[in-house]
Amino acid sequence: MMEVCGSSNVTLREFGSEQSLLSRPDGSASFIQGNTSVLAAAYGPAEVKVSKEIYDRATLEVLIQPKVGLPGVRERAQEQCVRETCEASLLLSLHPRSSLTLILQLIHDDGSLLSCFLNAACVALMDAGLPMSRLFCGVTCAIDADGQIITDPTAAQEKESRALMTFAIDATERRVMMSSTRGSFSVHELQQCIAVSQKASEKIFQFYRDSVRRRYSKTL
Amino acid sequence: MFSGLKDKVGEVLLPGDEFSLETEDTISLTERVKPEKVVCGPGLRRSGDRLLVCKSGVLRHKQPNMFWMDSQQRRYVPAKGETVIGIVTVKSGDVFKVDFGGSEQASLSYLAFEGATKRNRPNVQVGDLVFSQFVVANRDMEPELVCVDSSGRANGMGVFGAGGLLFTVSLGLARRLLSPHSEVLSDLQTLFPCELVVGMNGRLWVRSSSVQQTLVITNLLQSCDTMTAPQRQELFRRAAQGAL
Amino acid sequence: MAAGFKVAEPLEYHRSFLKENCRPDGRELSEFRTTTLNIGSITTADGSALVKVGNTTVICGIKAELTNPIVEAPGKGYIVPNVDLPPLCSSRFRPGPPAEQAQAASQFIADVIESSEVIQTEDLCIERGKLCWVLYCDMMCLDYDGNVLDACIIALLAALKNTQLPEVTISTETSKPEVNLEKRRGLHIHKHPVSASFCVFDDSILIVDPTAEEESLSTAHLTVVTDDEDRLCVVHKPGGTSLSGEKLQECISRATARQREIQKLIDKVIHSVKTAQ
Repeated sequence: MMEVCGSSNVTLREFGSEQSLLSRPDGSASFIQGNTSVLAAAYGPAEVKVSKEIYDRATLEVLIQPKVGLPGVRERAQEQCVRETCEASLLLSLHPRSSLTLILQLIHDDGSLLSCFLNAACVALMDAGLPMSRLFCGVTCAIDADGQIITDPTAAQEKESRALMTFAIDATERRVMMSSTRGSFSVHELQQCIAVSQKASEKIFQFYRDSVRRRYSKTL
Repeated sequence: MFSGLKDKVGEVLLPGDEFSLETEDTISLTERVKPEKVVCGPGLRRSGDRLLVCKSGVLRHKQPNMFWMDSQQRRYVPAKGETVIGIVTVKSGDVFKVDFGGSEQASLSYLAFEGATKRNRPNVQVGDLVFSQFVVANRDMEPELVCVDSSGRANGMGVFGAGGLLFTVSLGLARRLLSPHSEVLSDLQTLFPCELVVGMNGRLWVRSSSVQQTLVITNLLQSCDTMTAPQRQELFRRAAQGAL
Repeated sequence: MAAGFKVAEPLEYHRSFLKENCRPDGRELSEFRTTTLNIGSITTADGSALVKVGNTTVICGIKAELTNPIVEAPGKGYIVPNVDLPPLCSSRFRPGPPAEQAQAASQFIADVIESSEVIQTEDLCIERGKLCWVLYCDMMCLDYDGNVLDACIIALLAALKNTQLPEVTISTETSKPEVNLEKRRGLHIHKHPVSASFCVFDDSILIVDPTAEEESLSTAHLTVVTDDEDRLCVVHKPGGTSLSGEKLQECISRATARQREIQKLIDKVIHSVKTAQ
């Protein structure tokens, strides 16, 4: 079930995703953007620890596992970004007093990692069949020394860039759900990057639709 | 009415897709206009006069106005009236705790068996399998199971006897097996006669003439989830030739 | 009556105020709480500052140590920020290792330092590949009433401006560093990053400088950091409900105004400290 998308005017690297590839989790997905690759597994709604129980909604936990070693401060900050984005798109109030767990395992980092985490998270949650109010996707933009905007940069491009921004875009209104930036930039550049990300998000959302359609093609 | 929605029946939809439920402007004068109400099944939500999709899957429709999303999910979420296969985990006082694969355990009263009274307790041990039905299943309360129907009859429910094998399949396959004219089931029954119990929670219980045949059936059912009809029939035929 | 309403229906309580374009504590939607600043409060530290934004109190202490530069960057020193949210400041924090919020805040401060280049790390190098300064910036929250990030950034900036590093020479005979504690000089601050935090209520209403209660009831948070040249350093929005471009623009213009206010405040406080001496 491997699919690959080419690139046109807003250039994203080739991206692809595979769903339900793990047997134990309730939903799983791998997401690949160029050489960046992430594996996501979603569990839930499952039993919740009493200390983490919330009376009117489900508890969502996001765990990011680096390639080696234990998750550090950087992973924690990324976890927070992914978790709050997922919380806004999931209908957590439909499963009160239960727990949802999303595990993101980094396979290979070649730039645009946070956006890859977001995309993998969205596909895995969709695969698990959890109720969602909207879909979202992540897009990373880098501004290089000449002021050119590069979407979906590689690690080398990220290193040379003057500023780096990652946005989560929601599927219904194409608005910014999450933003995380590095480096300094002007207001105009920010608005430009948001516009470019919104354009790039269309491709990812179309890809989501195609891959789900392919998945259900046998039961149509 | 619902013309926009009906056009999409059988198509794949994603969370966030929206439909308007507003009544059409033109009202037919000759026909009697009945106020129609749409019935939302799993995966659909109403918000004001809009219908929102909240699970990815295929939109299904049943006359006159029932709509739901057919999605492939692995985790079971209980719903009232559904029958499931559960495992008794705790015996405490007058209720049993039953694990059915959901987010919490369901309770099953010892009086909820056919012919059970305060004196005449049913013989249920920890670890037993029960085939039972949900009478309470909502998000705010503990789910509750019973092994009797509304007239107090067992109606096929109760504790499983010895022998047989329990295994799990995807919820989608379990639903397909339970549909009135299931092709999978008819394909299977012609080649391998067996006793089969299907729970809506994706748990299946099989018993046939020999252990070997039970295992063959188990493997066939587990593997036919992602197959098209010709592929499945081919597999079943090959298995029948090899096994017999 | 009002107290009961506040406890039973906190969200409705806030909504009824927001409808009238004001907030329960009497502020307007785009009004910050009173910000007070004290510089040099910890005499044993190399630099320190205490900031109060309304009830939120953050103290920042900077400790400079001599160390070897890391191999990848032999010509640079480094800065290690750490945000501590102890159980003292609010009942929501438990004793034990730092929770996610504290770790995310530390990462945010580190991002701001790196993005804004408030200090050029080359300035911290004493001898290339041999000796450099490391600045441990510890920010501790003493009273948590929301918007801890803004308070941390102000405390950090003021403390950095207050930092006096002793002169260090490397003796030619023993090739060991000699620290002259009598002769101290201030750090060179290149940029003045200041943040402004916002909360989104009911997906549409923006409020600035939220209190802890407003933070917990809102659906999204946003922090914008700008420097003296009106460039953006960090636009941090960790998820939550989505925001349109126009709303974002509103936040940015409020953040640039805030930057001016805070820079003026810091300059004024430093001036008053100097004249007092």
